[in-house]
Amino acid sequence: MTGRRVAVVGAGMTRFVRRAQETGKELAFQASRAALDAAEMKLGQVDAVCLTSAPDAFDGVHRKGDYLADGAGGWNKPFIRTYVGGGSGVFTAIQGWYTVASGQADVVLCVAEEKMSSCQPHPQGAFLTIFDNILERPLGPNLLWIFALEMNRYMQRYGLEKRDIAAVAVKNKRNAADHPAALLGQADISVDDVLASDVLAWPVQRLDVSPISDGAVAIIMASEETARRLTAAPVWIDGVGWNLDSTYWTNRDLSYPEYVEKAARMAYGMAGITEPRKQIHVAEPYDPFDYKELHHLEGLLLFDKGKAPEAAAAGVTARDGDLPCCPSGGLLGVGNPIAAAGLMKIAELFWQLRGEAGARQVPGTPERGVAQAWGDLMQVGTVVVMGAGGAGGLRGSGLAARPHPSPLRPDPSGQSAAPPTSMLGPTSLSDAQFRSVAGAVDTPLDVLYAWDPGDAIGAFLDGLRDGRILATTCASCGRTLVPPRAFCERCFRSTDAWMELAATGTVETFSICHVTWDMRPLDEPELPAVIRIDGSSDGGFLHKLDEVAPDDVRIGMAVEAVWRPLDDRTGSILDIAYFRPRDPAPDRELVAAAAGEMTP
Amino acid sequence: MTVRRIEGELPVAFRYTPGVGNTAFFEALRDRGTFLGSRCADCGVTYLPARIFCERCLAGLVPDTECGPEGTVESWTVARQDVDGRPLDPPVTFALVRLDGADTVLLHRLLGTADIGGRVRAVLRPERTASILDLQGFEPV
Ligand SMILES: [Zn+2]
Repeated sequence: MTGRRVAVVGAGMTRFVRRAQETGKELAFQASRAALDAAEMKLGQVDAVCLTSAPDAFDGVHRKGDYLADGAGGWNKPFIRTYVGGGSGVFTAIQGWYTVASGQADVVLCVAEEKMSSCQPHPQGAFLTIFDNILERPLGPNLLWIFALEMNRYMQRYGLEKRDIAAVAVKNKRNAADHPAALLGQADISVDDVLASDVLAWPVQRLDVSPISDGAVAIIMASEETARRLTAAPVWIDGVGWNLDSTYWTNRDLSYPEYVEKAARMAYGMAGITEPRKQIHVAEPYDPFDYKELHHLEGLLLFDKGKAPEAAAAGVTARDGDLPCCPSGGLLGVGNPIAAAGLMKIAELFWQLRGEAGARQVPGTPERGVAQAWGDLMQVGTVVVMGAGGAGGLRGSGLAARPHPSPLRPDPSGQSAAPPTSMLGPTSLSDAQFRSVAGAVDTPLDVLYAWDPGDAIGAFLDGLRDGRILATTCASCGRTLVPPRAFCERCFRSTDAWMELAATGTVETFSICHVTWDMRPLDEPELPAVIRIDGSSDGGFLHKLDEVAPDDVRIGMAVEAVWRPLDDRTGSILDIAYFRPRDPAPDRELVAAAAGEMTP
Repeated sequence: MTVRRIEGELPVAFRYTPGVGNTAFFEALRDRGTFLGSRCADCGVTYLPARIFCERCLAGLVPDTECGPEGTVESWTVARQDVDGRPLDPPVTFALVRLDGADTVLLHRLLGTADIGGRVRAVLRPERTASILDLQGFEPV
């Protein structure tokens, strides 16, 4: 057993909306108040507050932790903000767990808030600096590239059908139609609707993606003894796990989230789960994109690699299927105020495991659930396993849950009599109202950054200026690293030698992108790709393809660098103008065979 | 080794909505020229500008408590340079003012001079737009 036993005793959330009139503080308050009311508790019973919110650049408040503290009940209390990007919402529950498990506090309020509507012209602007400022930003990347490149690799690796993946978006938006907090619930959506939606960055289409949202969620955690005093139906935190993969995202296995498996094994180990497919009854995997739910279900060991899509298409993950996944409606249906969306999954398991999810309740008596989120530069996995009842709990004692107090405001949708009935606000504004709201203030983030590339990348850029691709090698693990690094992050020692590689490589994955980072249409699609330089180890780096028709690009295609004229080179990643096929008319069968592509 | 300086921007701007509490404050200031706060009776604290919750007990609050227009200087300073370090001519005096009836302070301009503890009165602009600048500043009484 790891530390003291910890339970969730209350949960609350705001509606997720596109544009909230409320400030971030007010959103945090609405969720916190709802959780306290649901548990019939006062703020004075809370010993400590754990808060999370994703990038400061969404709210435009560059000290979001303490800024949000008052709305989260943090006044005069031990207070901490944690942050692992999209993984933050589930991670704050992990933070809450160890604050209680360690004995530092008996009762902790965990709050997750996000207000993305403040960020203009598009919240994607806040993401631009997650790309490498030296090697990736000059290419004009768009956040969708990362997902499109990963999704394409996943589809190619296992020979997946887009139709099967789209079934996830349909399931989640239909599930969300029963969630009173949902932004994009739609009971009558079909797979054809998803497949007919705008192509943003192939294979990603508009309805494959979760919406920009504002909202907040809060849960209350307590030690075992206190939890039993507070409620007849505590929901236990049985296991927690988290893991971080390489920060070089183009070096990762884009078809399988190894880090999610490692986080899941950590959580399952703590929870004593040896057969997750039998012992997990309901799952809330992270679903900012439909393929991500499938990716994550495989990483959570709930389906074999590459097998989650056909299970989704067959209804196995439906609310009444063998393994209900995202019965809440997930990020695709309820919405994606980033950090809040992760904690929403913990709240959903709380309601599901207490049998209080109303129209969303999964059949039977689920006793174990798993929630998972994912973030940073798509390489962190955060996992929480939750369990109902147990000795003295709801199912163990046969006690009914204490009835909940009536809502402070009636549920605006009137769709569900069950929790989250204590949900409050926020006030949802139309775009016109948002533009004209009294007292609003517009402020540009008027800053400019200057980055030094450092030793290894500096030498790499010198090489590009000379038309050479330079690598470093690690004698300990035997890897040849492109882009080169001064140290091997696996062996944690300085790299040993420099070497030059030919300017040829292989397309590891690619996308056909039709929009700019702020979602304006491009006249001509662009072809971002991950290129592995021949002779380098694992993965490659981000660049673009040209001199090839989009329909002719294949994963596994052999390519070569096209250099800018010598006089135009400046020691930049753009000294490579682009990569082009080595054979102008690639032999598709050979290329497919080289990539291990499944022939239909 | 070439020394490089690679520049980049974060091309975003923010639109901050004042939220429910501050909207009530700004609308009262614009339409009636009054200072609207909210009071938590349990904690005995009046917040100005109005908030929709008490930070001490998380009770929901209603913006219904008028404060001012006179108040007391809690502290003051004279700014002689702008944010970029250029001289301000004339210098600008800023004060923290606790309006009568409020437990919190407002940061604004001091029009004239007053010591800590000195009494001041709000000076409003005739044309108001629901902004903190609808308040021109505070003048000594
Ligand atoms: Zn109070």
